[in-house]
Amino acid sequence: MAKILLVDDSSTVRDEVGGFLKKNGLDVITAVDGKDGLNKLKADPGIKLVVSDVNMPNMDGLTMVEKIRSELGNSTVNVIMLTTENNPSMKERGKAAGVKGWIVKPFKGESVVETFKKLSA
Amino acid sequence: MSDEAQLVSKVLVLDNSPECFKQIKQFCDQNGLIGLKVNSVNVMAVLSTYVDLGAILLSENYHESLADTLDLAQQIHTARPELPIVLRRISTPDLDDLSEKQRKLFCSAYTIDDMSPLRKVIDEYIFSLVYPNALVRGISELTVNTLETLSTLENRFKSLKVITETPYIVRDRIIFGEVCSLIPLESSWCRGYMMLQTEEGGILDVLGYTELTGDGDPATFRTVNNILGELTNLLWGAFKTHFIAVDDPGTQYTSEVPLVINHQHKYISFGSENPQLCFKYILTDENNSHFIPIYQWFVFNLYWSPEDFKEIYASVDDFVDSGELELF
Repeated sequence: MAKILLVDDSSTVRDEVGGFLKKNGLDVITAVDGKDGLNKLKADPGIKLVVSDVNMPNMDGLTMVEKIRSELGNSTVNVIMLTTENNPSMKERGKAAGVKGWIVKPFKGESVVETFKKLSA
Repeated sequence: MSDEAQLVSKVLVLDNSPECFKQIKQFCDQNGLIGLKVNSVNVMAVLSTYVDLGAILLSENYHESLADTLDLAQQIHTARPELPIVLRRISTPDLDDLSEKQRKLFCSAYTIDDMSPLRKVIDEYIFSLVYPNALVRGISELTVNTLETLSTLENRFKSLKVITETPYIVRDRIIFGEVCSLIPLESSWCRGYMMLQTEEGGILDVLGYTELTGDGDPATFRTVNNILGELTNLLWGAFKTHFIAVDDPGTQYTSEVPLVINHQHKYISFGSENPQLCFKYILTDENNSHFIPIYQWFVFNLYWSPEDFKEIYASVDDFVDSGELELF
């Protein structure tokens, strides 16, 4: 089954988004911040897609993506940011780090679930 | 800069004269005030619970003797020192006949024949900060839009309708409800906080207490905390998108002051005397009588420069709709 790592400090988002993706046949692992996300990705090579918030304690989402590419040397995992940030310069930073897509919250699952399935296959 | 917003503020009118009350009400209508009358035996009880007041208008003959009225003023001042008290005099236009200690209870005095000192008090204590119309209107719009998206945040909120009340100014520092969140706002034109306040019971009523969350756990106060936290996050993001430019350099003023929260008295101080910009929204569940009140306060206690405020008019091409995936 396609495996997704969902990284968000809000348990509401982890419950809602994670629950929706699980209902739609995706295997979801959750992490509470960028540091936790980095550790979970490192421990599970089966993760093909990371969906991450930007503003989080301990380590923000964009720093996590940069470390996924540099420290973990993982250039293949797809990353989508799910955030309240709509700042073009942040998106540019994300693009430079190899982020595949950007969603401004709130999450509307129906419109993205098929893309998530493709990116996590 | 945009036009100044037309805001209102609630004032408690402690005056027994029907004639004078009529004139005071007219003054309130003309000056953006909402006069609230209260039974004299309930004054202190109302003050201990009522949120979002701007000032107290007290008549010197509110009680039988001036001494009793001054005693009430002392009690009000002790209970709510942040609220300016204006004394309506009968035979003299000022406070000169009072002792120094008594004079300190009041910020000013007026007579029913000359209400210009009252107007000065309103300008100085309540409407002292300029809030651009585009900011007030924009906050209200983006908040309503965000509240309407709660249906996508929580499946149980699908039948909620959002009602917005007229934005207003408060000076008091009483925290409404049972749960509140705070998030900093920083830009070249403002530094302060957005605070959301609501009732745990209201959200749990709408969720139905036993509705399932996540893996089947009943909704608890933690569910409420998490929902309020995420709502705060969504509003914070929307505020930045609408009002803080991408290249905003921020302010050179970096001072901080402690926030003081007294749980016993449901009191919060932001370390500034500035009046606060407030919005109230009511989310009603169209399927039953349940409702969730949400109070949204903007407290620019660290820096406020409305002349530098700019609404962001982003190109349609710059942003995709929220919830839509923008692929790079």
